[in-house]
Parts: sequence; C-alpha cells; structure tokens
Amino acid sequence: MEIGPIVRALTRNRTRVLLIVLQIAITLAVVTNAVNMIATERTKMKQASGFDDDNLLWVFSRPFADSFGDRAFRITTTRSDVRALRTIPGVKSVVNTNFIPWQGGGSSGEVKAAGGDGSSYRTQEYTASPAFTDTLGVKIVSGRNIGEGDINDEPNATTANVIISRGLERLIFKGQSAVGKQFIEPDNSVDTIVGVFDPFYNPYGWPIHEYCLVYPGTVARNGALFLVRVNPGAMKSVSQAVEKKLLSVNDGRNFEMRTISEVRDKYFTEGRIVIMAMTAVIILIVIVTGLGIVGVTSFSVTERKKQIGTRRALGATKSAILRYFLMENWLITNSGVLLGILLAYGLNYLLVTHTSGVKLDWRYLIAGVTLLWVQGIVATLVPAMRAAAVSPVIATRGV
Amino acid sequence: MFAYNLRIAIKSLRRHPLLTGVIIAGIALGICASTTFTTVRHMFARDPLPGRSSRIFYVRMDNWDPATPYPDDGGGTNPHHVPPQVAYRDAMELMRSNIPVRQSVMFAANVIVFPEKRAARPYSDRGRMVFSDFFTMFGVPFHYGGPWDRRADAKAEQVAVIDDATNQKLFGGTNSVGKRLRLGTRDFTIVGVLAPWRPFIRMYDVTQNFVQQPEPIYLPFNTAISMEIRPGGNSDGWKPVGPTYRDFLASDVDCLQFWVELRSPTDRASYQTFVDNYVRQEKTKGRFPRPLNNQVTSLLDLLKEIGIVRPAMTAMAVMSILFLIICSLNLTGLLLGKFLSRAPELSVRRALGATRGDIFLQHLIECELVGVAGGVIGMLLSLGVLRFIAKFITATTVISLDPEMILAALFLSLVAGGIAGLYPAWRACKLQPAVQLKV
Repeated sequence: MEIGPIVRALTRNRTRVLLIVLQIAITLAVVTNAVNMIATERTKMKQASGFDDDNLLWVFSRPFADSFGDRAFRITTTRSDVRALRTIPGVKSVVNTNFIPWQGGGSSGEVKAAGGDGSSYRTQEYTASPAFTDTLGVKIVSGRNIGEGDINDEPNATTANVIISRGLERLIFKGQSAVGKQFIEPDNSVDTIVGVFDPFYNPYGWPIHEYCLVYPGTVARNGALFLVRVNPGAMKSVSQAVEKKLLSVNDGRNFEMRTISEVRDKYFTEGRIVIMAMTAVIILIVIVTGLGIVGVTSFSVTERKKQIGTRRALGATKSAILRYFLMENWLITNSGVLLGILLAYGLNYLLVTHTSGVKLDWRYLIAGVTLLWVQGIVATLVPAMRAAAVSPVIATRGV
Repeated sequence: MFAYNLRIAIKSLRRHPLLTGVIIAGIALGICASTTFTTVRHMFARDPLPGRSSRIFYVRMDNWDPATPYPDDGGGTNPHHVPPQVAYRDAMELMRSNIPVRQSVMFAANVIVFPEKRAARPYSDRGRMVFSDFFTMFGVPFHYGGPWDRRADAKAEQVAVIDDATNQKLFGGTNSVGKRLRLGTRDFTIVGVLAPWRPFIRMYDVTQNFVQQPEPIYLPFNTAISMEIRPGGNSDGWKPVGPTYRDFLASDVDCLQFWVELRSPTDRASYQTFVDNYVRQEKTKGRFPRPLNNQVTSLLDLLKEIGIVRPAMTAMAVMSILFLIICSLNLTGLLLGKFLSRAPELSVRRALGATRGDIFLQHLIECELVGVAGGVIGMLLSLGVLRFIAKFITATTVISLDPEMILAALFLSLVAGGIAGLYPAWRACKLQPAVQLKV
C-alpha cells in the first residue's frame, strides 16, 4: 500500500496531525483510567454482607412519653413490638437489635479467649434477640443459636451465652471450634460461646468487618431498634403498615424507618458518584474526540480536493482514495495510541501515588485501543467517502 | 474596531451554525465537567472558617489501653494514633484553663421536643450540648437574640438556642426569644434563634457524618449533664464502665469534642504545656498509662488529618481537567480548518488593506466569543449537575458555585478559547494573499 506518500503528506500537515495525535493520546489515557476507576468502585460495591439486604427494613422507635423512663416498661413494650411486627402480613422475621447493616460502623469491644495467650481481639459487638440469624438470613454453622432462655437483661450480669461469626472464630481459635469456649471481657465477665454463624460482613472504621459477637438481650435503652425481614416484594406494604402497628402497641413515640438497600446506597455514595461521573466522562470524551476527527478530516478533504481530483484523473479508483484516508487516519490513530499508552500509565502513576487509585489493568488498555481504532474508522468514513466521491473533472479546472 | 470585529465574528459563526454548535457544545462540556468536579473538591478543601480557622484548635489526649494503641483504619499499628475525642472528667479539668480566649467541650444527643400547640405531636430532634463560646468560635449567625452568657453555663440554666427551621415550625418564624420550649422533662427559655446556617462541612464535629446539617437545638453543656443526657455520637472506651450516669461521668470513655481558641503561637505553646502537665499529674494517679501524647491540632490540620478531601474527588477533578484539555485541542483543530477554508475571503481583505494584526485580532475575537459562550453554557450546566451531586452527598442542595468558582470558570473558558484559538488565528493571518488571489 501507498504508505510512503501518506507519511510524506502527513509531515506537511504537522500541526493538524499533532492535534489529533494529542487528542487521541489523552483520550486513551483518560478513558482507560476512568474505566479502571469504575471497575475499582464496582469491585468494592460487589462486597456482599451475607444478609438478605434487599428484604430488610430498619425500624427505630423514639419514645417521648414519660412511661418509657422505666426500664421494665421499655423492655416489655419492646417485646410486644416484636410480636406486633410479626403479625404484619409479608413479614418473615423480626429481630430487636442495635445492629444496622451497611451503616459504616456500629459498636465494638475487646475480648480475650479464656485460657488463651492473653492477647485481646477487637470485634464488633451487638445485642440481639434470638431471631438475629433468621432475620439477617445467616446460618448457624456449628453449635446452637441463642434462645429466649439465654436472654438476661440484668445490667450487672457477669455471664452470658453468646454466638460469634465464623470470621471471629477463625481469628481467635485458629481452626479449632469455638463452641463451648469462653471469652473474658475487660470487666472480667465471662461469655460462653454456644454457636457460630456465617456469613457476616459489616464495614467498620477499623478492619474488623467480619468479626462479630452477639449477646442475647433486649435493646431498649434510648429507643427500640428492629430489623424486619420481609418476603420478596412485600417491602412496600410492610413499611406502610409498620407505624400504625407499633402505634397500636404504644403511641407515646415517633418512628424512623429505612430499608437496608437505602442504607447500603448511602454507604456507597462516593462509589456511585465516581461511577456515574466517569461513565459520563467516557461517553462525552468519545463523542467529542469523534466529532473532532470528523471535523479535521473533513477540512483536510476540502483542502485536498484538487489533489484528489488529480489522482482520480490519473487512474486512482474510488476505493484507493477511500483507502488512502482510512490508512492515513489509522496511522495517526496509532501514533496517538502509542503516546496514549505512555500517558495512560503516567496518569495512572499519578492517581496511584496521589489519590486512592489502583494500578491500571492492561486489559482496559487493550479495550481502549480497540475502541479508538473503531472510533477512528467510523469518524473517518464519512469524510473519506466524500473524498472518494470527488470528481476527476476537478483536476482540469483552475490552475 | 472591536465592534466591527465582533460583528464579523458573529457573522462568521452564524454562517456555519452546525459547526459553531459543535464547537460551543465542546467547550461547554469541558467547562461543565471541570467546573463541577473542581467545585465539589473545593467545597471540601476550602477553609470552613476563613479568617478564624488558624486560631481554632482541637484537643486530644491519649488515655487509651497501655497494651495497644487506639486502633486506626489501617489495622491499629500506628502507636501515635490518639483517641479522636476526650472523656468528661478530663474535659472538665481542661476547661479550668484561662489560656484560651474561648473554649467549648461539646457533644451531640437527641432531645424530645414538646411543641406548645396541643395538636402537634412531640418529636425527637438532634441537639448539641455546648458552652456559650461555641457560637462565637464557629461564627454561628443569629437572627434573633444571641448566645446565652457564661453565667448560664456556670449555673446550668435552662436556656436554649434553636435554628431557623425549628423556629419556623414551632413559632411560625416570629421572634421567639423569651418564649418557653419544653424539651424532655424540663422547660427551657429560648435566648436565641439562628439565621439560616448551612456550613458545607460541620467542622465542629468531624467524628461522624461531617456533611450533615448542623443540629436544630443547642443547650448549655452543663444543663444537659444535669439532665443525665448521654452523648449520642461515637464513644470509645477500653475499660469496663458501670451502668449509671455517675459511672459514665467518672469513666475514661472518650465521647466529647473539645475546642479552644488560642490567640497566638505563644498561647498555643503554653496551652500544650498546660495539657501535658495535666496529663503528667493524672499519670501519678495511675491514669493515662500510655506514653505522653497530647495533640492540640489546628482546625485546618485536623481536617487534613482525617482526610476530608476524599482521594476520589481529586482523581475526578484531574480527569475533568484533562477532559477540558481534550475539548480545547478539539476546538483548535476545528477552528484551524474553519479559518483556513476562509482563505480566499481573508486574502481579499488583506489585499484591500487589512493588516496581519487586524486579521489576527478578528480571529482571536471569534475564538474568545465561542469560548465565553461555551463557558457560560457550561457553567449553567454545571449548576444543574452540582445540584444533583449535592442531593447525593448531603440530601440537600448546598453545593453551589461561589463567586470564586464562577470567576475561575469564566477565566478558564477565556483561557481555553484563547489558547485554542491562538494558533489558528496566527495561521490565518500568515496566509499569503497573492497565492489565493491568483485563482
């Protein structure tokens, strides 16, 4: 093919070529890094909690009536609340607990294994009624669940039967079963592990996402908290019925409600913004660069009409002209791509060292290069076809 | 001459409406993207208390477990990591110092509001328990009345400050200073009503959800303690604590934010010494078992330390500026083609006496025209996008373009138009009229 003349023609239009090369190079750098950012955020958002997130509803009862000043009253009301919530059609299970999935935190404490090497381990700690596992949709994998009989709401109790997550079992007991083992709390109270549940993941400010210890008990000190698991599709009808139901138990309070999907979305706000923004940037950049290539090639066709006519008059076929422009564009695109690969890694280096960027996956680079090739061909095609349509007669006109 | 050039430029732009549209849209998109993301970053990065922030300091003391340092999000390996808040008993001792010109320890907690109107249901709302200095230290604007005085702090009086929205809700927006407000089991007297106030960063408590709206209700700290209100935010402890409120007050549970205003670096140094001496003295009583590590951190340093500017925001700002560069390159290419295709017309003008300078200026004006048009459209677009993003981040529409950012965007569009247009305009004025006129 006629590469020689194409290259010579290109060197005569250095500015035009340089503009497109730069544009393509930066496009490649931005697009690949944007895709990389999107992929990073997507991976983070793929993290499963292990719970039935889509069918969980969080309900918070905030009392204002004086009667709630009495502890015994709070506990009996909370228990009635659980019973009342269970009667709502579409409700699968209800737990009274201070645990809220995907809140980005929670409560934690330190425990020591009785008879262990004395090291303390930090773990998430929550109080819950026995329906904890059923409501979240997690399984007891060894031992037994906590039962109503394990609940002891006495604040000065020094012993408790607890269940822990498998992550915590692995961390502390290194492969041995935790069932029957004991924890010593900082206040020297003793917890006996009766069961282990799995899975559990709740993002925390500290790296203790998979560690969890659950005490049997009633959560009713500053208002009562519930997680309600509904049958698939029943979220709307259940959430509409909750307030009325609980008011019928006691109307001296207000309620706050949120679905766990909402809580989860909020937790991933940043990732969702990054994904939306970078998707928009990719789409726009491809359009802008595409229009740019169309524009510049069109002008270069107009500029060279006479030469094209001359070539046609000298025997070049239409397809030869078309090939010429496509080939020219392909050469330009490839120079842009080569520079772009360097730029992409340069930009990625900056993002990794100065922001929370992750190393660029070379597969995105290949996808980006393919995209630019296709874009180059599509964007050149229209002006190139116009060039091919130039009549040889033009050569006979003018100078 | 300028008016003439402008007229020619407009004429030229109108001759190719499609091309002009593409060019302006390109610039508009570039400006929109870059303005939006640099603004989002700017909202977090800017000084939340201009002029005052260098005098405001956050106090922390390491009262953590001798066995392990206070854990951080990297796995608790940093031995200098200090608990983010202070305990009640220490805060009370530090409050005795007269080195700070102003100081306030504080915490957030829910309070139950009983509206006067019989029909309205009581409701629970977010409250902040502060000392009177809080309002001045953090530049809180008042609509009616003002902060309570220091005597009210000392005597734990039942006075309250409410925000504008609460005043609208409970008192229809009228001056409610002096009126009664029942909170929980007690009656409070309203002494101040805030003007609408929405700092983007809730800088006085960054321990959790720092983009949240400021609290609607403010009560004297000592009054809240006398009502046995427990802090509702994060609380960190490593030792067992008894169940009663008295146990809590005597404990090492870190759950309060402590701020001081210090006039000068000298005061800052002497305050650091004061805190260190206090901790040394407590050490003799067996408290503060870890190595001495007390931090008096300026507001801006604290914001930097907790990483208020998320790395993703910086990354997005960089990407959006690269996008603007692409748009500019695109503009250069399109203008170059456009100007050069106008060669015959330009040659006639040159032959009739127009100088190179005239041609250059005319084309540059045309470029700036599309630059500014694109800039203005881009900014308007950006306003819309920012509204959307603000809803996402804070559930309110508090991100907007401040004058600084509007000027920056306009400047950017002028620069983009100028730089992009410089080369094409230069090429246009370098055309040889003789070559073209031969035809």
